[in-house]
Amino acid sequence: MLGAGLDTSREMTQEVKMKTILITGASSGIGLETARTLIRQGYSVIGVARSEANCDRAKEMILSDNPNAKIIFFMADLMQQREVVRVAEEITLYLNEKCSGELYALINNAGCVRSWYMTTDEGYEQQFALNHLAGFLLTHKLLPALIKAQGRVIMTGSESHKGIKVRWDNIMLSRRYNPLTAYKQSKLCNILFAKGLNDRYAAAGIRAYVVDPGLVNTDIGSKETGALVNFIWSVRKRYGVPPSVPAKTYEFLCEQKFPPDGLYYYFCKEKNYSKQVTSQNADRLFELSERLCDIRYEKV
Amino acid sequence: MNVMITGAAGGLGRTFANECARRGYNLFLTDINEEGLLCLKRGLERQFDVVVTKAACDLTDAENVDRMLDMIDKYEIRFDMLLNIAGLDYEGGFMERDREKLVKIVSLNNAATLRITHAVFKRRRTCRPFTIVFVSSLASMFPMPLKATYAATKRFLLDFAVSLRHELKNENVNILTLCPGGMVTTNETMCSIRAQGFWGNVTTNPLEFVARKTIDHALTGKNIYVPGKLNQVLSFLSKIIPRSWAAALIYMRWHHVQSKWMKNNSANTAELQQDAT
Repeated sequence: MLGAGLDTSREMTQEVKMKTILITGASSGIGLETARTLIRQGYSVIGVARSEANCDRAKEMILSDNPNAKIIFFMADLMQQREVVRVAEEITLYLNEKCSGELYALINNAGCVRSWYMTTDEGYEQQFALNHLAGFLLTHKLLPALIKAQGRVIMTGSESHKGIKVRWDNIMLSRRYNPLTAYKQSKLCNILFAKGLNDRYAAAGIRAYVVDPGLVNTDIGSKETGALVNFIWSVRKRYGVPPSVPAKTYEFLCEQKFPPDGLYYYFCKEKNYSKQVTSQNADRLFELSERLCDIRYEKV
Repeated sequence: MNVMITGAAGGLGRTFANECARRGYNLFLTDINEEGLLCLKRGLERQFDVVVTKAACDLTDAENVDRMLDMIDKYEIRFDMLLNIAGLDYEGGFMERDREKLVKIVSLNNAATLRITHAVFKRRRTCRPFTIVFVSSLASMFPMPLKATYAATKRFLLDFAVSLRHELKNENVNILTLCPGGMVTTNETMCSIRAQGFWGNVTTNPLEFVARKTIDHALTGKNIYVPGKLNQVLSFLSKIIPRSWAAALIYMRWHHVQSKWMKNNSANTAELQQDAT
């Protein structure tokens, strides 16, 4: 009897407890706007970003909207794997201490565009390393917290993932580097990763999605890129929607009581994705990425 | 093929290491940055089926180099190729720079390169061709006001390499000098190339292309490799334009670029300091 009573009270505290959502690349653009939107919906948000100055600015902006907002930032350059591992450990400690070890949603949003072939400390091509591998490794490290909360994993994808295949023989494109190909391929990897996660963990209660934000007016094309990419992006982004528009799709995916069945979402609606997105390709990407991150996603 | 790469943990070194590993060469990596070496070794071993050995070493310190050579001898490692990538530069005019930093440019780019070339050549694999690559620069072709020390160290490497090639011509040795324009090896070099505007963009060589072609050319016995058509034209011009004219022209260009770049940099630093307070 006593035991049953305790269980009921625990269930009640769970109901009023805030759900925690982690967003990478949360100090600007789509990540920041999504953080603001989700905080308005009553979530507690953990942001990850690279620069201290930008984190402070973002936090200030969020707190000026709502002084009671539950927001905390962790700093990490997610392009470097040791940074992903370090920040994942810090976040796990935080989740265990403040959120009963539960992570309701992980939004792998951090991404970059490059004009030239550049590498991370591991010698991995930077767009592939940040846009795909960082999320792949971070999700693995936070899997226990996600399973505990029956959580959701959401990737920031792009319509540009269509019309391209993964270059399995040289995924870092170190022989003939084309910045746009590298970007498109990394976005195809995002959706293959989500597909593979669903294949492996849907039974454990985790669902993965990819959001196509559309053309959004952010600074992604002007951060650490060359003059040409910078110029093209400065013209192109003027036709983009503000980041608050795609933020609604992330909110939609988090707010559904029962996880939706789709994989790829645009304006809160399911959308068709590339024919390259198959379980076979997802398995192949998992195998390769596991090797590149030295981890193993166990099948449940 | 056993290859030693100096300065392996930097942007250019990593690209060369990737290229060699893709070709199936075994690698001996050295750099002053120990953590960077460890990351790179992991990254290469996860991608390619090659043996990667690493040793952190300050090549400007003779004792440090001796210790590394003792380790090499202990394990009887012998080499077929040496890629002299380690090198550095600091932005700013001669009198604006820190004295010891200026000396460091010469001691790394030149003295350390001689030291390691001598040592590794003595440890070549017997009865096999040996290949050496020196990384000079397009800057070696011109007197370069505001980059005077750097350009002179690169000129030293160019002249030294061309001479050494003749000294060792009967020893079954290939020696190639790479003279690239700008390359985007770090975020800082990217900012610097952006500050150079049009000329920065058109003289910039893609890293992965340069690494691949350099190894190809070195193996076929080429002497000097200047990547990019425009850079080849500039390299030709350097032979016919009087050096004082070239110096005046380059001063005008670099003065403009550096003031723009330094201004951006100091603005960033000021911003960071402001945020910190």
